Amino acid sequence: MKRVVALMALLAASAGAAAEVNFITCPVYRDTDNGRKSGCWLGEDPASGIRYDITQSAAKPDWNFAVLVEGRVAASPDDPCGGAVLDPVRVSILLDQPCTRHMIPAEGFKGRKYVLPKRNIDPLSVVRAKPQPPFATRSFRLFFDWNSDFIAYQREDHSLDMAIAWIRGAPVRSLTVTGYAATTPFNVSGQAMAEEKGMGQIRADHVAEALYRLGIPKAKIVTRNGGDGGVIADALADDLPQASRRRVEIVAEVAE
Amino acid sequence: MTLRAVALALGALLAIGAAKAPERWWSPGEGRVFPAQLTYPNADGELGLVLTGGAMPTRGHPFFEPLGPDGRACVTCHQPADSMSLSVASVQERWIATKGRDPLFAAYDGSNCPGLPQGERASHSLLLDHGLIRVERAWPVAGTDMSVEVVRDPTRCNSGEYGPEKGKISVYRRPRPVANMKYLLAMGFAYDPKAGMPLPLDPETGQPVSGNLMADGRALTLKIQMEDAAATHLRMVRHLTPQQIAQITDFEMRIYSAQVKGPHGMLNAGGAKGGPQTLADSIPGQLGSISNQPNSVSGPVWSEFAAWEKDDPALPEAERAFRKSVARGARVFREKMFLISDSAGINSPVGFGNPVRNSCVFCHNMTQMGNDVAPGQVDLGTTTLPFADPQPDLPLFRITCRGKPHPHYGRTILTHDPGYALTTGKCADVGKITLQSNRGLAARAPYFSNGMAKDLRGIIDYYDRRYSIGYTEQDKQDLVNLMRAL
Ligand code: HEC
Ligand code: HEC
Repeated sequence: MKRVVALMALLAASAGAAAEVNFITCPVYRDTDNGRKSGCWLGEDPASGIRYDITQSAAKPDWNFAVLVEGRVAASPDDPCGGAVLDPVRVSILLDQPCTRHMIPAEGFKGRKYVLPKRNIDPLSVVRAKPQPPFATRSFRLFFDWNSDFIAYQREDHSLDMAIAWIRGAPVRSLTVTGYAATTPFNVSGQAMAEEKGMGQIRADHVAEALYRLGIPKAKIVTRNGGDGGVIADALADDLPQASRRRVEIVAEVAE
Repeated sequence: MTLRAVALALGALLAIGAAKAPERWWSPGEGRVFPAQLTYPNADGELGLVLTGGAMPTRGHPFFEPLGPDGRACVTCHQPADSMSLSVASVQERWIATKGRDPLFAAYDGSNCPGLPQGERASHSLLLDHGLIRVERAWPVAGTDMSVEVVRDPTRCNSGEYGPEKGKISVYRRPRPVANMKYLLAMGFAYDPKAGMPLPLDPETGQPVSGNLMADGRALTLKIQMEDAAATHLRMVRHLTPQQIAQITDFEMRIYSAQVKGPHGMLNAGGAKGGPQTLADSIPGQLGSISNQPNSVSGPVWSEFAAWEKDDPALPEAERAFRKSVARGARVFREKMFLISDSAGINSPVGFGNPVRNSCVFCHNMTQMGNDVAPGQVDLGTTTLPFADPQPDLPLFRITCRGKPHPHYGRTILTHDPGYALTTGKCADVGKITLQSNRGLAARAPYFSNGMAKDLRGIIDYYDRRYSIGYTEQDKQDLVNLMRAL
């Protein structure tokens, strides 16, 4: 049965060339045991009744709160958790929408053995490559979860690490940090979702503080609220249109 | 083992070694020479201390001299025989030996509250029964999103001229060991994943710091910590001089401490690398929770006992069994998985998920020290209801989150010690306690910041309850034996 569901989801996706799947749901934790961090996260899309495997999100759910799920159905036919695999996928915890926690047994599913994610940062002991001239003004983007300014572990901290390595090594004159938020409502699972108006500024200030902690003098940093910057295409947002709206752009201007 | 049994065992050990063993208790201003190597017997074998760079005279040394009006020194609460912390057994011994007149029992923080009648035992019950020192924090702090009410005030230090109305909160904490400092100060990564931020900065130099000092993280550097200690524990009116600061720092960076002898033989025998010398010789800050970490030089956490996985039938039976048990304990620590839930700092907001399957080493991930490579502020539940064991002797606070509710506790929280939240003012940080060193445990019972676990078994039993781990009796004994060997 579960195979059939997964297959249906795949078919549905292939029709729309891995269309974006967005929904809000209460997550279910499946207690698989394949070593550390091998538990499964599942979520049913209320619109289709399909149970998705949302485990591949860098940031995982909290079983006490609803999640906003944004993803695409993966091409791979694997089913380690008992749901149609979304990959790429992003999960945002909706702290204002409580859920009843629900844990189900493994039921024969294996879960996934943990592998270090690609966007894992190196320890301090690893010397970062120096950027090479010629230098020209450059920009960097960080993406955020819903209504959050948290710099996601093993995802956005990696982008920040790349950015700061370049900024430190280039003749940067000033940094303009612009925060954007999804303030124009979009419809998910029957809810009109919109982020707080001030979220762009909150994100910009947060990233500015991070840059300061990484050694950039405050006088060199300007922050701006860019409001709703709309959808952009960026692989760092896994090309997920809605997720791409929640971002900060750091423009590093170099001295001539 | 009960405390009485420990005391008896200690008494016996002391009687045997009386002729040559150094005096266990270091009183301020004794002027002893601190030798390059020092050992003290305890119920589980022997604690070893190493002072790198050789012996050091303590006469005139600010860590050892009484600097304030109470006649106390740093060493009063950071005793070599207790792995540079303070065991409750030592406290009780001092009480009897000095009829309660040791400067340790000074009214300011060596009693439940300065206003209590100081001659009575009951006024020092938290120190005598649980090894707890009063820690007074200013409240509220700027930018706080929570309010604090006092629900229960058994020490009378959170009401009247003390307490939140007077801008103060008193909590009660165990002295943390002042040894192996290069590990606690080491920075493995540039980021604090729990905060989603780069490492915090030293307010004086602007340089990043480890964020691994003090239960509530209120001091980011040894310098700030010692200035705080001098003004509070020592009641110094004047500031430490730059020379005193340099001397204390020098000592703190040179002193290493760990159990060196177990109940059955040396801990660095048979290929094992227990004891303080390994700590002095090794590179700190290594992430030991994953074996494939790039550039790791010292292997997984507690791999210093890996050689004991190989059976040695030539050994006496008890020693052979102990070695095997310690080696298994190290594996249980790293490999036995359980569901970690509702522990802020791990289950929120970092993104590991709530719950997440992992082992002891997930949080205790620094090789050789068992503290956290990242800043280690985690809410294990040791101080906060419903996870904390009942502790009628301790104050109880009701925290109300005025902004966002706490992700795991909701809008109101009952806690004996808000921990990190007393520093940040943030409701999301209530109950977070900085992970401490895991070395020299045998010498410094009781455990956890509030002394809730009276012995090593108590630590394991707490975890087993807290996370419904389901350890077998064998697992528990192996973990206890591992901890006896640290
Ligand atoms: C009255 C007992 C007492 C005295 C005296 C005392 N301390 Fe402490 N020390 C403590 C306690 C209790 C803590 C833990 C406090 C906390 O976590 O909030 C501590 C923590 C520390 C730590 C942090 C260790 C870690 O791993 O986080 C250092 C370093 C330290 N003390 C150094 C000193 C120095 C230096 C002096 C003398 C200037 C001193 N102490 C005097 C009780 C004392
Ligand atoms: C979720 C993170 C986490 C996990 C998992 C964890 N610990 Fe801890 N551990 C902590 C924190 C936080 C503290 C400090 C708590 C306190 O002092 O109140 C601590 C303290 C300790 C201490 C030090 C006690 C002292 O007083 O010096 C020991 C020993 C310890 N843990 C052993 C273990 C063992 C054994 C396991 C596995 C059963 C384990 N821990 C699992 C977070 C964790």
